[in-house]
Amino acid sequence: MKALFPRAGFAAGALLLFAAPFLTANPFYQRVAALTLLAAISASAWNVIGGYAGQVSFGHSVYFGIGAYAALLAYAKLGWPPIAGLPFGIVASFALSIVVGLPSFRLRGHYFSMATIAIAALAGILVTNWDFVGGAIGVMGPARARSFADLLFRSSLPYYAIFLCVLAILLLFTRLLQKSRMGFYLRAIGSDERVAQSLGVPVRRYKLYALLISGAFTSIAGTLYAVMVGFVDPNSGFGILISVNMVVMAALGGAGTLFGPLIGAAILVPLGEATNALWGARGIAYVAYGVIIMLLARFSPGGLAELGRFIVKGWRRRAA
Amino acid sequence: MLLEARGIVKTFGNVRAVDGADLAVEEGELVGLIGPNGAGKSTFFDCLAGNLAPEAGSIRFAGLESTRLSPDRHARLGLARTFQVPVVFAGMTVLENAMVGAFLRHESRARAAQKAAEALEFTGLAGQAEMPAAALGTAGRKRLGIARALATEPRLLLLDEALAGLTSSEIETAIGLLARIHARGITLLVVEHIMEVIHRLTRRVLVFHQGRVIAEGSPAEVTANPEVIRAYLGRRAKRGEA
Amino acid sequence: MILLQLAADGLLLGAVYALFSSGLTLIWGMMNVVNFAHGDFVMLAMYIAFFSFTLLKLEPIVFVPLAAVLLFALGGLVYYALVRHVMRGPMLAQILSTFGLALFLRYTALWAFSANFVSLPSGLVGGVYDLGGLRLAASHLIAGFSALLLTLGLHLLLTRTDLGSRMLAVSEDRVAAELVGVRPDPMQALAWGLGAAATGVAGALIALFFYVSPEVGNSFLLLAFVTVCLGGFGSVPGALLAGVAIGVIESFSAYWLGPATKDAVVLALFILLLWVRPQGLFGRA
Ligand SMILES: Nc1ncnc2c1ncn2[C@@H]1O[C@H](COP(=O)(O)OP(=O)(O)OP(=O)(O)O)[C@@H](O)[C@H]1O
Ligand SMILES: [Mg+2]
Repeated sequence: MKALFPRAGFAAGALLLFAAPFLTANPFYQRVAALTLLAAISASAWNVIGGYAGQVSFGHSVYFGIGAYAALLAYAKLGWPPIAGLPFGIVASFALSIVVGLPSFRLRGHYFSMATIAIAALAGILVTNWDFVGGAIGVMGPARARSFADLLFRSSLPYYAIFLCVLAILLLFTRLLQKSRMGFYLRAIGSDERVAQSLGVPVRRYKLYALLISGAFTSIAGTLYAVMVGFVDPNSGFGILISVNMVVMAALGGAGTLFGPLIGAAILVPLGEATNALWGARGIAYVAYGVIIMLLARFSPGGLAELGRFIVKGWRRRAA
Repeated sequence: MLLEARGIVKTFGNVRAVDGADLAVEEGELVGLIGPNGAGKSTFFDCLAGNLAPEAGSIRFAGLESTRLSPDRHARLGLARTFQVPVVFAGMTVLENAMVGAFLRHESRARAAQKAAEALEFTGLAGQAEMPAAALGTAGRKRLGIARALATEPRLLLLDEALAGLTSSEIETAIGLLARIHARGITLLVVEHIMEVIHRLTRRVLVFHQGRVIAEGSPAEVTANPEVIRAYLGRRAKRGEA
Repeated sequence: MILLQLAADGLLLGAVYALFSSGLTLIWGMMNVVNFAHGDFVMLAMYIAFFSFTLLKLEPIVFVPLAAVLLFALGGLVYYALVRHVMRGPMLAQILSTFGLALFLRYTALWAFSANFVSLPSGLVGGVYDLGGLRLAASHLIAGFSALLLTLGLHLLLTRTDLGSRMLAVSEDRVAAELVGVRPDPMQALAWGLGAAATGVAGALIALFFYVSPEVGNSFLLLAFVTVCLGGFGSVPGALLAGVAIGVIESFSAYWLGPATKDAVVLALFILLLWVRPQGLFGRA
């Protein structure tokens, strides 16, 4: 029973994910479903460095922006389909991880987070003032599909399918990671860097590995976003709220757990869209985010995953 | 000589925590390191294990110049340590904690799990393997610290007050454990406050005071040494005033 | 002459930076917690100033202390309701707690006050003085000098008074302080209150010459980070020196490189500093 339950739960969850958008013909709901998966991709990508390795980055918007700009610049400068920008985004994300991430790893805890906030803010300013990449105005994608490769669809369902594939790959990858030496090392680093290092964990190297993976997948999320939305400007690519979304979703579902970020996204994206539709303003959702994070930090730093375990344990105890 | 340190100096602001300390440990020895509170023992350990870079002096471990090597390089060379304040990886089970150490020499998860389980067995933690490490008490945490270090398959193990804060029956178990570790051929350097432990376990003791070794010899010799008595008494007298 | 003008502007602005950064550094030094909502504390104080004047017709001499009192209460509340429970918990919880607070404050302000920029009338406190070619706005002068005095006052409070030494005792060793009869919680709440109050005064002073918007806090947060990092984490005199230095750097880089890049210069400086000397330029290891 104990072994069966998570398996069955997993199968049910996977089925639900596949079926979700087909349950409705409403394009708004389908779009929300697609955006949920996209958010789950970025949050799961953040989770590798922020959750498992415990390095709380507020600078992942930079990776997202790099991916999004790579896609639309590939179109605007070279006339390529936006998705062709994907490898450029990944390469740029690697470069960023090595040049900017590596020196930041000397910093621990709060200091690291402060540095990432500053780096993201700096990147935003630079992009806004760089005319080649469209400055404050941003970059547009193709207005209508020139070929299938432009991946322009009126319906959100094809995007949903693409996002689901990428998310599946990312989660599978994370699962393998979790089981491997690297997964143990990252969790050890997240828990106590000094002890981990004394047990032979090359801390900086493993943090870099985690950041390379995390950054590359975040840039993929940015590319996918740009492909779907067809427009990016400094705010929608590099804004601090992009990072905030990743952090909050992962933390709500459970940072450092496999499905936590997905669960967080599945709660918060619809919540954000709903408040947006009801009040016509995004701001309210962030008021709620703020409250949610404070409550989490105060009562359940492990997110819903921890809360769930706690409840199950209590339930078992009462049953016994 | 397995470990040799010469003239190690480490200061914090204007505190000279380690001030020209020397040390030599032969392969297979079990050496005690004692000294009053604040003598600099833990800081000296940090220097020996690569956690702190000394400002002066040189350290050789296993025939290599190791003064500036990182802690993970030390671990790879076969130097493992525990910390005075026992820290566990809170999000992991006891077994997973030990696996982090075992992964150093075994990349496969199954192998690492097996080696970790052996280390837990050896330290008497096998029964708690699946428990969350955060649920362990002080004694359990200290033992887990040792198990984790053993899982790295070290040649030399530095133990920083592995027995402090234990009850007398727990101390008995722990003394047995240290003796068994030594019997396995692992060289031990132990910081310990409890003299009885030192008497029963070691044949050679170094006495640390104000950042350097002031006496060396058998436990009986050093406890009779007037300078050592003065170091301990001076400390106590100062405290009495305060 | 222009250089002198830039230096004077920078110095006065820098004194204000020093004051609100002292608030951050005080909290940081006392309990190793970064207040990510610090910039939004400044924002709140600015709105307090704005609404005190527009709605209640209060003069600066009244609304500046009012901002201090309100922010003091907020700081204490934040400590007791939030920080106290997370400060020894996991790092993620520590960071998220005040970050959540920042989001909450910022977007509540956005919702309540709208995204529009507002500002106090520019002639609220005197005009512009001309000192042999050096043009100094009275608002800048008042803000700069009051900030300078208050920062020094805060420093003296921490180093020269009994209260200050009790606060420091708690920050150095919570357990030991408790043993000698100092209860840590009120001291740390006091640190939060004082830190927030200093920020409140600074915010109300800035409102005399700077626009207010719900998002204005973000750039103040970054400025405070840079200042605290440059001055050494936890050091009030360090924050004073660093704040003034940052003010001058900003003023010069805005003149030479244009206002758009001035933030970039300060941020780049901050990042480099963190990489090279995480303990701060004047701080000890
Ligand atoms: N990180 C640090 N920063 C500043 N001072 C330190 C630091 N670590 C240790 N010290 C100081 O260095 C001196 C030596 O400390 P150390 O912990 O090495 O002593 P010890 O012999 O291990 O004492 P104990 O028996 O209490 O563990 C002490 O005066 C201590 O206050
Ligand atoms: Mg010690």
